[in-house]
Amino acid sequence: MKINKQIAALVMVIAMLTGCSKFLDRPLENRAQATEIDYANTSLMYQPVSGVYRTAASGTFAKWISVTIRSVRGDEIETGNDDAGQIAIHNYQNNVTVKSYWGINDMWISIYGVVLAANSALEELDQFGQRIGSGDAANQKLHAQYEAEVRFFRALGHYWASRYWGDVPVLGIESNDPNALSNATKTSRADVLAHVMEEMDYCIANLEDARPNQAAHVGGVTKYTALMLKAKAAMDLAGNNNGSPMWDVVLDCTNQITTSGKFNLFPDYYQLWKKPGKLSNEAILEFQYSDFGNATGDIVTSGGANELWGNFFLFQGPENTYGMPISGAGWMVPSQKAVDFLTARQDTLRMRTTILRCGVNGVPGTTAVTPDGDQVSGNAGLKKYFNGKSYYPKNQMTVDRVDYYGANNNIRVFRYAEALLMNAEAKVRKGQSGDIPFNEVRVRAKLLPINGVTIQQVLDERRAELICEWWGERFNDLLRTGQAATVLPGFITGQSEFLPIPQEQEDRNSNLKN
Amino acid sequence: MKYYLSFCFIIAILLTGTFASAQAQRSVKGKVQDAQGLPVPGATITVKNTPGIGAISSEAGTFTISVPASADSLVISVIGYNRQAVAVSDNVEITLDIADGATLEQVVVIGYGTQRKGDLTAPITTVNTENMMKRTTSTPMDALQGSVPGVQIIGNGAPGSPPSVRVRGVGSFNNESPLYVVDGMFVNDISFLNAADIADMSILKDASGAAIYGVRAANGVVLITTKKGKLNMKTRVTYNGYVGIQVPVNVLKMADGKQYTNFSLQRGTTQDSTTVRLSSERFGGSGLNPTTSTDWYDELLRKQALITNHGIDLQGGSERVTYSVGLNYTYQNGIQDAKNSFERYNARFQLEAKAFPWLKVGFTTYITNSTTFVPNAEAFSDAFSATPLFPVYDEQNVNAFPVKFASAATIGREDANPVASAYYNYNKLKQFQVLPTLYAEASFWKDKLTFRSQISQLYSSSLRTQYSPERNLGPGTSVTVSNLRSTQERNTNYILDNLLTYRDGAGKHHWSLLLGQSTREERWRQTWVSANNVPLVEESWYVGQGTRDQNGYNEDGFRNAGMSYFTRGTYDYDNKYLLTATFRADGSSKYQTKWGYFPSVGLGWVVTGENFMKGQRVFDFLKLRGSWGKLGNDGVNANAGYAIVNTGSANSAIFGSGAIANGEYIPGYTVNRFFTDVTWEVVTEWDAGVDFEMIGRRLKGSVDYYTRKTTDAAFDRPFGFTYVSIYGNWAEMVNSGFDVALSWDDKIGDLHYQIGGNFSTLKNEVTDLGSLPSLMSGVFPFVAEFPNKIEVGQSLRYFYGYEMEGVYQSADEIAKDPVASNYNATALSKIQPGWLKYKDQDGNGILDNADRVNIGSYLPKVTYGFNLGLDYKNFDFSIAFQGSAGNKILNLNRGKLYKASNSLNIDEEFASNMWNGAGSTNSYPSARAIADGWFKVGSSFFVENGSYLRVQNIQLGYTFNVGRSSAPSNIRLYLTADRPFIFTKYNGFTPEITGPGYDMNVYPVSATYSFGVRASF
Repeated sequence: MKINKQIAALVMVIAMLTGCSKFLDRPLENRAQATEIDYANTSLMYQPVSGVYRTAASGTFAKWISVTIRSVRGDEIETGNDDAGQIAIHNYQNNVTVKSYWGINDMWISIYGVVLAANSALEELDQFGQRIGSGDAANQKLHAQYEAEVRFFRALGHYWASRYWGDVPVLGIESNDPNALSNATKTSRADVLAHVMEEMDYCIANLEDARPNQAAHVGGVTKYTALMLKAKAAMDLAGNNNGSPMWDVVLDCTNQITTSGKFNLFPDYYQLWKKPGKLSNEAILEFQYSDFGNATGDIVTSGGANELWGNFFLFQGPENTYGMPISGAGWMVPSQKAVDFLTARQDTLRMRTTILRCGVNGVPGTTAVTPDGDQVSGNAGLKKYFNGKSYYPKNQMTVDRVDYYGANNNIRVFRYAEALLMNAEAKVRKGQSGDIPFNEVRVRAKLLPINGVTIQQVLDERRAELICEWWGERFNDLLRTGQAATVLPGFITGQSEFLPIPQEQEDRNSNLKN
Repeated sequence: MKYYLSFCFIIAILLTGTFASAQAQRSVKGKVQDAQGLPVPGATITVKNTPGIGAISSEAGTFTISVPASADSLVISVIGYNRQAVAVSDNVEITLDIADGATLEQVVVIGYGTQRKGDLTAPITTVNTENMMKRTTSTPMDALQGSVPGVQIIGNGAPGSPPSVRVRGVGSFNNESPLYVVDGMFVNDISFLNAADIADMSILKDASGAAIYGVRAANGVVLITTKKGKLNMKTRVTYNGYVGIQVPVNVLKMADGKQYTNFSLQRGTTQDSTTVRLSSERFGGSGLNPTTSTDWYDELLRKQALITNHGIDLQGGSERVTYSVGLNYTYQNGIQDAKNSFERYNARFQLEAKAFPWLKVGFTTYITNSTTFVPNAEAFSDAFSATPLFPVYDEQNVNAFPVKFASAATIGREDANPVASAYYNYNKLKQFQVLPTLYAEASFWKDKLTFRSQISQLYSSSLRTQYSPERNLGPGTSVTVSNLRSTQERNTNYILDNLLTYRDGAGKHHWSLLLGQSTREERWRQTWVSANNVPLVEESWYVGQGTRDQNGYNEDGFRNAGMSYFTRGTYDYDNKYLLTATFRADGSSKYQTKWGYFPSVGLGWVVTGENFMKGQRVFDFLKLRGSWGKLGNDGVNANAGYAIVNTGSANSAIFGSGAIANGEYIPGYTVNRFFTDVTWEVVTEWDAGVDFEMIGRRLKGSVDYYTRKTTDAAFDRPFGFTYVSIYGNWAEMVNSGFDVALSWDDKIGDLHYQIGGNFSTLKNEVTDLGSLPSLMSGVFPFVAEFPNKIEVGQSLRYFYGYEMEGVYQSADEIAKDPVASNYNATALSKIQPGWLKYKDQDGNGILDNADRVNIGSYLPKVTYGFNLGLDYKNFDFSIAFQGSAGNKILNLNRGKLYKASNSLNIDEEFASNMWNGAGSTNSYPSARAIADGWFKVGSSFFVENGSYLRVQNIQLGYTFNVGRSSAPSNIRLYLTADRPFIFTKYNGFTPEITGPGYDMNVYPVSATYSFGVRASF
């Protein structure tokens, strides 16, 4: 009897629990829920685009390690520490130390991270696009413009990837399927650049005709940003060949920028890199950040999520052991060669702007003073200099904002000054006079104008104007003009032009070995 | 404590009262007990030479029997004891001796039940709790080190922190620790338990034993039953306590001031000589001869640290109620000379009542309250890299406060002051845990059928307080503000088990059937808050007392629910042919796939039970076993199983951040499109084994061979171009090996001795990685520099790099070596004598990726333990050894040389063997070579032999009785040395390295010397 009752009770309990199907089927806790996006609501259409801007600005293009790697390939920046990978890159080694160096893999992922984000956003834009009525011309135009903004960043990623690695894959919207990532194949460098130029034609046709600081989304990419990228791609393809038709493209694009009347150089070269120079009329492309003027709370820097190190200004800041407000990790040390170059030119303003000192010859316990009156000490590594273009003086910092050095500054990527110098170079190479655009840049730097400038003078001016900036222009200029092997110790033509494809990438996709 | 069970019970009942006799009768009362005075239930009492009369002892050991007046003696027999005859008297008291073959009759705790050891088809190890108690460790698992074959235990020196435990290799990328079941409750760790509270501990290693635990069984199962009282048991009070000191052993010797100076000057950079010069200027000495020589490990370690344990235990029982109470206090100070210690209070209550003859109800509660001060293990690593050229304290360091610690920056280095790192660490973890279990057990049909329903709960909460005071380490004026972070965690878990057990037999056939159902839920929640500028006073350590930070909080948690149905059937014929089959269906809320099915089958053949074995004298017992089954591992992380749209400010760009405007977010989103469904990992295990007893049961042993194949092993599968990986069930791996245990017991006169030993071998192989040929991993921050590789066909996470062949001795050798001469042809920094020489595996004359090979595995090929025990009159002595062989350690302390330029030191071994000219050494590079990129690659130079042999425990005991002879108190005094000696070639503090074998920030294991007392009355 009792047994039967017990068994019956057991069966009931089991049946009851089984009945509670919810018990196992309840959704997981503390997870992002599945989100429905209302693609018919065109007011949301800019959201995936804004997401791409953020991806491009934080933790990717301006990430500390990729900035360092592309800078130490030139002769303006020393490694600042004895990290074996960086030193090997600096010495143009191509062995395992470089190939399996985490930094080049991180740089690859950073750059392609923007490409993948752009492809993902294009798929989102496609969803919005399908729901825009055929008669809704205004939204169709916006849709095309937004798509162009996203495609600009994708092309910028491909452009930079091919600049650092040569032949690289071009990833289209098919890469939204992860399996495609394991099978992607390489495209030749020339074809990547041609692809970038083609993409820019779409962008030029569909982007806003405005100076970036006057764009609807202030500081967004416009027609002129696309023209600039197209010109740069064309210039890389043209190389040192004055007869290349690509110089026509460079000239045409830069002419469109200079004759638009929308741009002018920021008058103060020193302040250009500081708060007053943010998003000036010289800015063609700038990555934007903010601390919103608040001493604490929300902040946007170039680092990824929770990545203090990723802050562009912080890792280049001097190791101010003696605890003054300007303090960082002391990477990216301006080379003596760069200092000597500016000194020899008597390029005082650029020197004063770019080359700042750490104490007396870097000796611990000594102190130097910046043009803005900040004290900077020597350091254990005896590093003498730090890069003034990423120096952010205390008197411009948001009051009481102490946690992120350089928090409220933007990163200058493409400047009108460079467009002018490209215009000058194209003109000179095509046998025209480049004096006007050339001297506009020179005069702003408080240097005397030169008449009848030569290619070498333009290249020297480029070197001085862009000195210690972060996009590898100096190295690229030496490459495209064939001077690398003579100027850079350790550089071997045919071997040292590009970084090796990261070992980890080859391990995941054997197509990259070919 | 051991439970004994009689399977003669039913037969005996049949005998009782069936035969009425016309003869004159006499009633005899009696009691059966064991040598320890505990009642022996279920003993069969028969009358000598008079068949048909019998009785069975009750649970209190008592019996009443009517015997013919002519009867002169009674025969008492029960499994597990020697048969004994006693003369008939009105009131007999019989004390039984344990039988020779008793171990076979021992009842072993298995999943959701018990089984006679002789009938097991699974290699289940029952832990000798006596031996376990000999070890003076604060956590129970540490006390098992080296004593269970197939179970590798890697100690962790920090006070109160649990060791890492691996059962039969590593079969998962996720969770490799076994499931612990304490009185029916699932827990992940048992460091909350006091070893003295453990009555039984069984370790289930194979599928036949463990598969009944389904999705939690893949890493093995450790079953623990806490102590209980017995019916009609005289109250017994036991005190157990010891006091000891811990002493650091095998302390790592670093280069002293002089050696460091030499090394530094040989490196030859301006920076190096600056440091040397600054040290003499500031801290004494002249020019390049500084006098400072700080031994940082010596500064960081206590000479001795206290460890003590006191426990009192009560057990007893009346006719219908049993109870037990245990109280325990444990304190362990850390050997790091800073705030680090472990203090634990335990209380255990157990009560069981026979409410009705057929119904038992009971509860047990286990309460733990502990306070742990967690050390900063990083200080040990800091001590490795800190130069000896600066002192601990420096009064001239004017800005430093509250303590005038010296700063390496004053001599141009970036070393942390290790003593300061340890001193400014305050990390207090207070934990409280209650583990209540309530059950009812009903028996029917002459106890053939038992139904048990049990609810087990676990409630634990903890508060972690991490506080760093306002301080300045100097020499600058920059002050680090104080910071407080409090973390609260709460676990609320329950398991509801319903078990129906049927046990029966007919003739020589015996069988049992278990039907079970289990429901469980696990909830975990964590909240942390943090603030700066919190005052130094401990009473003010609330976040509200400081400056709140917008990002200074987070909340995390999960809820996992599971539901299971399981069954086990056992059958044996004449205890000779054995069969165990189990099946479990597990449902889980964690995965998209809700249900998993885990079957197992075990077979056994007692060869000595056969007639053809009757004549032989070699084996007293011989059993062959074999098992197969599937086990699950739900340590796999759950995922959402859909694309995630990321919104909010982290995915929105800033526009309009100009010279004046601050800019603002334009709302944005990104989409993570990479996902896949996940489910549990499945281990399919085969086991073949033999158990034997030989030479008059003096030699006992067992040998098992197993192979465990993990399928659906989950890991983050990386893809090209992105850090986004897809966590899914992509991989497969196989572990296989032998587990062997042997013991020899004998007596020479009054000397009883026992020699035991065990060893386990392990072979691990990755057999599939999805479509990937290989995968690199490592430990932060040296993931890329010192990688390990997971590759199909190789052992998991082997160290990957160049094979070091030696050191280039001369310029001539370099010129003749193709690798070196090719390298020197282009490299800016050229290979010189004193540089390491790496093997060109493919002989192409270039050191490239093809030359990077497997340079060792962190998994030991063999782990072993052996021990000797002696008993002579009142004295007992034991010694236990333990070790591992064939494993490699990546010496990351030395590996730090890779990145160090402004912060490094080298160990004494390195310093005194450094290359300093042709022929000086072929094992160590020159000082100069260390600074060069050529040295800074993952190579076998950094991979060392991790084999060791340790004297794990030595104990000498003396036992005596005091008090009245009718109620004597038994007292044992003992002296113990735990882990006093270690033999290893490894150039580090300790070869015991948890995780994948990288030695950095490891808290060293210490030796313990103690005096203890155990008294029971």
